[in-house]
Amino acid sequence: MIVHPGVGVTAITTNEARLYLTMRLKTWPNGVPVKVFVLPDEDPLHRRFATAVLGLYPYQLRRVWDRQLFSGTGQAPTTVASEAEMMRRVAATPGALGYVGSVPADAPVRSLEVR
Amino acid sequence: MAVTSRLVPWLLALAAGAAAADEGRASAWWEQLQGERLQIHGFASLTAVKTSANRFFGDSPDLSWNFIEVALNASYQLNGRVLFAGQVLARRAGDMYDGTPALDYGLADVTLDETPTRRLGVRLGRLKNPLGLYNETRDVPFTRPSIFLPQVIYFDKVRNLVLSTDGVMVYGETSTGYGDLSFTLGGGQPVVDENLEWAFLGDDLPGKFIPRGVAWVGSLWYSAFQERLRLGLSGFTSVLGYRPGVGLDLGAGETAINYLILSAQYNTEHWTLTSEYSRLPLEWQDYGVDFPYRKTSGEGYYLQGAYRVRPGLELMLRYEEGFTDRKDRDGTRASASLGGAVPPSDYFAKIWSLGVRWDLNPHVMLRAQYERHQGTYTIAARENDPATLVEDWDLFALQLAVRF
Repeated sequence: MIVHPGVGVTAITTNEARLYLTMRLKTWPNGVPVKVFVLPDEDPLHRRFATAVLGLYPYQLRRVWDRQLFSGTGQAPTTVASEAEMMRRVAATPGALGYVGSVPADAPVRSLEVR
Repeated sequence: MAVTSRLVPWLLALAAGAAAADEGRASAWWEQLQGERLQIHGFASLTAVKTSANRFFGDSPDLSWNFIEVALNASYQLNGRVLFAGQVLARRAGDMYDGTPALDYGLADVTLDETPTRRLGVRLGRLKNPLGLYNETRDVPFTRPSIFLPQVIYFDKVRNLVLSTDGVMVYGETSTGYGDLSFTLGGGQPVVDENLEWAFLGDDLPGKFIPRGVAWVGSLWYSAFQERLRLGLSGFTSVLGYRPGVGLDLGAGETAINYLILSAQYNTEHWTLTSEYSRLPLEWQDYGVDFPYRKTSGEGYYLQGAYRVRPGLELMLRYEEGFTDRKDRDGTRASASLGGAVPPSDYFAKIWSLGVRWDLNPHVMLRAQYERHQGTYTIAARENDPATLVEDWDLFALQLAVRF
């Protein structure tokens, strides 16, 4: 996972990752609002990330987001088209959280370990 | 039909546009418009319904186009603690709803406490009741398991009875090593309409139902194994007073409503198995000697399986049964009490449903559904003359839905 450099966190638990991605945990420990970016549901990396890191199938995530979005109880993450856009958006947005296949050494984002 | 004929080309154009548009540029422009805190979403659907007999969502024996949903919502995350959200819904549903736009929900949500292991918050405004798996988003085609929800629990003939509450709800959630536990508890005034009179009194009489006191709604959910298993208990309790019109034989009665739903769902990569069981005891008082009901104990349950053939293609099979009174499941006593004016089969429903869902892309969905019915408990009196109802009937429906 990757975060905006201003997010003062280097590791989170699987459960926390699940809560951030389902938009139920809305702020970082330093009080900055979390802004989540995801790839489209059918994207192979999204699928791999959802099942391997969160332990959820993409359709389960979509169901949670839709329920919140259409009942007024929460918001949905922002969908980006590619890993390159993911990297760019996470680097440019304070509080941003996302994921990519691999993080280059000179990347303008910080990697976030999921334990 | 004028509304329908205007909507069809619009829906098709929107569907085609969403599929063909330059996604990247359009979405960048759209996001810029909304900024980081505001989100705007919406959906629209158009459904064709054909039945072998009995009217359901319009003139279905002839083919009805009178089921249309259009909604627009906005949410604004003021900061990490405060969220504002609202949705306007226009819903045309046969003779039951004429498509006038109405506030579906409009609320302020305040997070009181938030840690990785627990959350607590409060919502104020017009709130969707968290009943069962589907009530909160019952009008969103994309979140339903089929074109029509299981009618023995999610009645469309009296959907407003349990749809939403103007009031306050407290919610909380805790994550433990054994799973997540969450609850909602709320109170306020239920949002009712004249479909209630049709369902309860069989006619739109010159009188009115008025909620008495505070209606309570609550839910308790347990989920475990990465949300593979979800178990829920939700309920609603309310008293409605009836203010009869002039020249009516009915008394100023009172109806006590309790609604309880048990829910269970299990998710795997390809399968989702769902079952819910509901009880709907109603007590009628002071309606006068001519009024046929005193106490009924409604009951409904279903078992539903969904199979995802591949992402974007899903099949659904469901069996459901529902009864006006579980102590009179074949309806003979209720029918006899009205001297046979309403056939026994109007007091129960046994339904097989088969459905297919095809998501062409993230914005466009097509659905088809076939239902085999015995009994007409789920049919609206407002759309039918009870004496002419046919016990065994079939339904076929096609739906196109778009979202952004």
